[in-house]
Amino acid sequence: MLTLTIDGREVPVSPGATILDAARSMGVDIPTLCWYPKLPIVGNCRICLVSVEGNPKLVPACATPAAEGMVVTTESQAAVKSRQAVLGMLLERYPVEDIPAGGARNEFEQMVRRYDVPTRHRSSLPLRAGDEREGDPIIQHDMSTCILCTRCVRACEDIQVVGVLDVAERGDRAEIIVGADGNPEHAGCTWCGECVRVCPTGAIHDVIPLAKMAADVMQHAAHAVRSVCPYCAVGCQLDLEVRGNDVVRVISPWIEEDTPNQGSTCVKGRFGTDFVLHRDRLKSPLIRRGWYKEASGRWRFDPARDGASQWGRRSGPWKDVEGEGHGRKRRPETNPLRTAPTGDSPLGDPRDRASTPASWYEPFREATWDEAMELTAQELLRLRDERGPDSLATFQSAKCSNEENYVLQRLFRAGIGTNNIDHCTRLCHSSSVSAMQRAMATSAASGSMREVEEDSDVIFILGANTTESHPVFGAAIKRAVKRGATLMVADVRRIELAARAKIHLQMLPGTDVPLLNAMLQHVLAEGLEDTAFIAARTHDFDAVRAAVAPYTPERAETITGVPADLIRRAAEIYARGPNSSTLWAMGLTQHHTGTDIVTSLLNLMLACGMIGRLGSAMMPIRGQNNVQGASDVGAIPMFYTDYQPVEDPAIRHVFAQEWGVPDERIPLVAGLKVTQIVQAGSPVRGMYIYGENPVISDPDVAHAEEWFHNLEFLVVHDLFLTETARYADVVLPGSSFAEKTGTFVNTERRIQLSHKAIEPPGNSRPDLDTIIDLSRRIGLPTPFTTASEVFDEIARVTPSWRGVSHARLKGPGLLYPVPTATHPGTAFLFDERFPTADGRAKFVPVEYLPPAELPDATFPFVLNTGRQMYHWHTGTMTRRSTALDARESTPTVELSPIDAAELGVRDGDDVSITSRRASIRIAVRISSRVARHQVFIPMHYREAAANLLTNPALDPYAGIPEFKFCAVRVEPAPVANVAELPDEVRRVGEPLVAADD
Amino acid sequence: MGYPHPPHPRETVLLSQYFGDPEARSLAGWRQRGGYRALEQALAMEPTAVTTIVKDSGLRGRGGAGFPTGTKWSFMKPGDGKAHYLCCNADESEPGTFKDREIMRWTPHALVEGCAIAAYAIGAETVYIYIRGEFTEPLQRMTEAVREAYAAGLLGPGAMGGKARIDVRIHKGAGAYICGEETALMNSIEGRRGNPRIKPPFPATAGLFGMPTTINNVETLAAVPHIITQGAAWYKAMCLSSPKSPGTKLFSVCGNVRRPGNYEVVLGFPFEEFLYDLCGGPPAGRKFKAIIPGGASVPIQTMDEVRATKMDYEGFVAGGSMLGSGGVICIDDAQCMVKQIGRLARFFAHESCAQCTQCREGTSWTTKIVERIEAGQGTPDDLDTLLEIADNMTGKTICVLSDSCAVPVVSGIQKFRDEFDAHIQGHRCPFRVAAAAA
Repeated sequence: MLTLTIDGREVPVSPGATILDAARSMGVDIPTLCWYPKLPIVGNCRICLVSVEGNPKLVPACATPAAEGMVVTTESQAAVKSRQAVLGMLLERYPVEDIPAGGARNEFEQMVRRYDVPTRHRSSLPLRAGDEREGDPIIQHDMSTCILCTRCVRACEDIQVVGVLDVAERGDRAEIIVGADGNPEHAGCTWCGECVRVCPTGAIHDVIPLAKMAADVMQHAAHAVRSVCPYCAVGCQLDLEVRGNDVVRVISPWIEEDTPNQGSTCVKGRFGTDFVLHRDRLKSPLIRRGWYKEASGRWRFDPARDGASQWGRRSGPWKDVEGEGHGRKRRPETNPLRTAPTGDSPLGDPRDRASTPASWYEPFREATWDEAMELTAQELLRLRDERGPDSLATFQSAKCSNEENYVLQRLFRAGIGTNNIDHCTRLCHSSSVSAMQRAMATSAASGSMREVEEDSDVIFILGANTTESHPVFGAAIKRAVKRGATLMVADVRRIELAARAKIHLQMLPGTDVPLLNAMLQHVLAEGLEDTAFIAARTHDFDAVRAAVAPYTPERAETITGVPADLIRRAAEIYARGPNSSTLWAMGLTQHHTGTDIVTSLLNLMLACGMIGRLGSAMMPIRGQNNVQGASDVGAIPMFYTDYQPVEDPAIRHVFAQEWGVPDERIPLVAGLKVTQIVQAGSPVRGMYIYGENPVISDPDVAHAEEWFHNLEFLVVHDLFLTETARYADVVLPGSSFAEKTGTFVNTERRIQLSHKAIEPPGNSRPDLDTIIDLSRRIGLPTPFTTASEVFDEIARVTPSWRGVSHARLKGPGLLYPVPTATHPGTAFLFDERFPTADGRAKFVPVEYLPPAELPDATFPFVLNTGRQMYHWHTGTMTRRSTALDARESTPTVELSPIDAAELGVRDGDDVSITSRRASIRIAVRISSRVARHQVFIPMHYREAAANLLTNPALDPYAGIPEFKFCAVRVEPAPVANVAELPDEVRRVGEPLVAADD
Repeated sequence: MGYPHPPHPRETVLLSQYFGDPEARSLAGWRQRGGYRALEQALAMEPTAVTTIVKDSGLRGRGGAGFPTGTKWSFMKPGDGKAHYLCCNADESEPGTFKDREIMRWTPHALVEGCAIAAYAIGAETVYIYIRGEFTEPLQRMTEAVREAYAAGLLGPGAMGGKARIDVRIHKGAGAYICGEETALMNSIEGRRGNPRIKPPFPATAGLFGMPTTINNVETLAAVPHIITQGAAWYKAMCLSSPKSPGTKLFSVCGNVRRPGNYEVVLGFPFEEFLYDLCGGPPAGRKFKAIIPGGASVPIQTMDEVRATKMDYEGFVAGGSMLGSGGVICIDDAQCMVKQIGRLARFFAHESCAQCTQCREGTSWTTKIVERIEAGQGTPDDLDTLLEIADNMTGKTICVLSDSCAVPVVSGIQKFRDEFDAHIQGHRCPFRVAAAAA
């Protein structure tokens, strides 16, 4: 520690701290413009110059290290004069006439006021300029107010590691540019909005559909509510700016706050939440026409009533519906951004664009909550009593809070008496959970994202397109690479991280086991395994040693297509660490051998001892914002909260006591999984679907659709009238993330509290109220009313959450396990033992099994499915967001350039993709990301639903379907009638007509 | 007149001895003229001994700042386990300066040899010679010389009989004056925008690629072989005035002068005699009005000041200016000082890297005002504004480009205020009027 004196007060600081750090630590406010926490220090604005005794020159506080005995005066006469000069010079080319009299609209103008710099006259010098992003519907510039602090340049380069923005030219011609040609698309912009967040003048600003950035928007501190992003499992904390009852924009929590994202967001988090305002939002419960209440008070269905028969017992099929919103649109090579029309309302209002066709509402009538709840309760109880509890099932939601999921599984377990409870974790990480449970009795990541970013030497990431699916974490990985960590990627596609990786293992789809076994074989052959770890912390290693012995890198090369030398190098880098983190996602899990694949990875990880040390994190990267939490609170068929097995009578007793029901009410056998429920011959006759859309998300959806058609009773509880909701008897309007208070668990086990910002629209109400109401109506004692009270009950029955309460979740949240009310949480696990009975991890030998359905002459291509940056799952939210829809409005299939040439199709042409189950028509996006004879289709688009094609083959342990592999055929799909083409396509072939000039 | 000119008898030709001798360019020719003996000698010594000789010689940096070269080298700690770099600053862009260009054109091996010796002394395995992008011929000569040196085994893995590994890489600049600033030059070599870096850390601590780096000017390095072969005492004895300024120095003379060109004199030479005897004085019928003695960044001297000036680091300071790069710009009495100063300001405004507010805004604002005055549209307040801006541009920025712009403006206004006043009061340029009348 050293001590210096600032403005007459002594302050101790650690060596390396700057004068600015020291001043901030004691609450002295030295003005800064170019400086921003965590960004590289450039010291270019020169506004933070301060006087230091004995130094003839002023020194920049931001860039000058504090020294022992230094005497600093922050507001010396010379410093103030210099600041006034700097501000005066900046004002020379600033639109001073726009500064409100006596007021200030932004950070810079506030500083002008603070130092009392006159703003009256405007010099004859031209205003500053720069690339403007004209017509961009998401981010626009007004570069006349740019002061060239270059915060945006550094935020883009050093936080997001994208590097779209830079300074071009010199002297007074210097300006901020967007890539080389002003086109953000060409420069690799991801519209994350980091530049918007750091800009001190609003020169770079967001374009808000409802409150376009106007002077007063920046001027007045808005009412902001802390929330958690509703998209991926990074769990970014967001501040929702509320005006009236609308969320007008998303602003970042301050960068120095301890949040998982440190205030960063991706495009979805910052610009994709306007679905909350969409006019398709359900505002009242709906009941299918034909249901009516008899005089006895009982509800009955009569197809003759209310014209019900004209729509059939169920609506659909949904897939006949034409594209969302904008119809078909050709997508040329450059994948241009849809520009915004100019005019008073530059974007229009997202609510003006209906995505739910009016005809979809016709089979329903609006109902009161009483009616909807009464009918639902009656039918659930009737099915329970007439057909047994297991005739009912619920799909819960990884998008909803822990409290809501807990109360709903409580309702089904204790109220109905069935374990038929599942959610979309089945379709994403269930195979990881089964593999991790088998090996080390755990179900979550062992470390944190911060640990991967800051402490890992090697980051091995498999089957995870992190920069698109978890962009904020993707940026953290890119920062880790920048700091010097070695990145290795195993992925069938050449994704962005692969391009930045030291090694890209681009294996053939479905050949993960031989690849990973061969890596382990080589590690053992070279003696690079961690023998001490193996001896002390594991058992059954010899079985794995024997099992991997035949998997030489040469043999693996013949199966995987990855050169043996590359496999060897990767194995050595991983094993040598010293600290290697292991990250994976759907690319490994969504196979019919998903559990085996993850097991082979765990074997490699355990053999190299890459767990249980800081920097050696094991991290299955979770998909949805609360998929971890929904599983943690028991929304899965085999476990209560905290993965306590339903088979254990003692555990059942604890829960039955807590819930006030007799033990026998809850079966001692695991319930059915998602993929077993939606299956011919399943006993399920009635369902409560909460915030999921299985009619698009399940494999082989045409088949799933048929199954839903034959249900006796279906309740769908969602924000919109989804494809699945069209089959419902009762549709309950849900509340969005902004409309409720609740907790969410991110991919690193961090429990975070999200606060209610606005009221739910119309007659809708918070989901928790709805589920509690229903619990009471079916006669289950439900002694709580608020989320906080629900959480207290969860904590009582969940050992690893016992010390958590809403009151403790302010700020960064807590990483569980948190066993006591004073425990600080656990960022990394397994430093001493695994939670197995003997504390050791178990090796499980696995053999290679080819994918369930292999390509052949008729179906020569392999179809891979997954996510895009700009959309989310079945698109119910993102496709209703103006900004996101503008970026990606049409379904496309990624096809390699050579395959495209062979098929004779150009970028943007339609092709038909046919699997053994179905066929879809989709536009081609030529992309060298995919290897030959592989195609990639994102899952978000109902008008070209990838899951019509996918293979419902299941993993025997986890029940996860093989979304990542099915054989397809690709054929050009020429348009029969040119007149049917959209205008922009037809124009391509027409001669250019000179403009009138 | 022909260029290069035959040396004037009062010149002391050390670096410029072979200017105009095409045979000195080749390795064989250079060896015949005694080349590479110094390197051989140096490699026979301990690196620190080489540094000591250079330190004892009193050689000071010829790029402008005049920092003692041996002292600079001694900042490089041997055995610190880090890669060391030597950068040779051949980005000679200072207006009025063209001495390094001639060294590289005529005696490229002198520079290669100097680089090799310096690299050996500071423990650098890699040398970057950063050559100004517009210097096409020097680039070609240097490239050829480096190629020859590699072929002869003087550079590369087994340089000089395997005693040391020395690699020399030539980096071509792309036309930015600011890349002559040492840290901007390093950024440029690293592939970044050529912005000066905040100091500290100084290059000796964290320079090129974050490693300890020494950066020397072409002329400095070219002098090193002479010092090695002839000894520190010999060099230190070459001195006409201040003992702190020994050795010879190339001065580039241009502007309104009869015999422009490069002149090499021993430091401390009387400036007035230099201008009149060696350079031939002003053109016929003209008188010198002002001299800018050290490139565009130094204060303008009046002839009264010139008269008292000895040509060395201390002498120019005593004469109200600085030695700078040794680019002597002569201005005769037919020239408008306001116009000249406006030109200089415009140069700096054009070349500002645009990082620091004072420089980016101040240089262009200054230019606008000076040009406005020159056009006869100035107001009496403008001079105060200029001095005020100049004050805010001085000593407050990351590098000294901003100060460099303020220097000629301030010295111009101080020393030639009457011309500024004449423009403002007469609402026109008196020199234009005179020219039109003639």
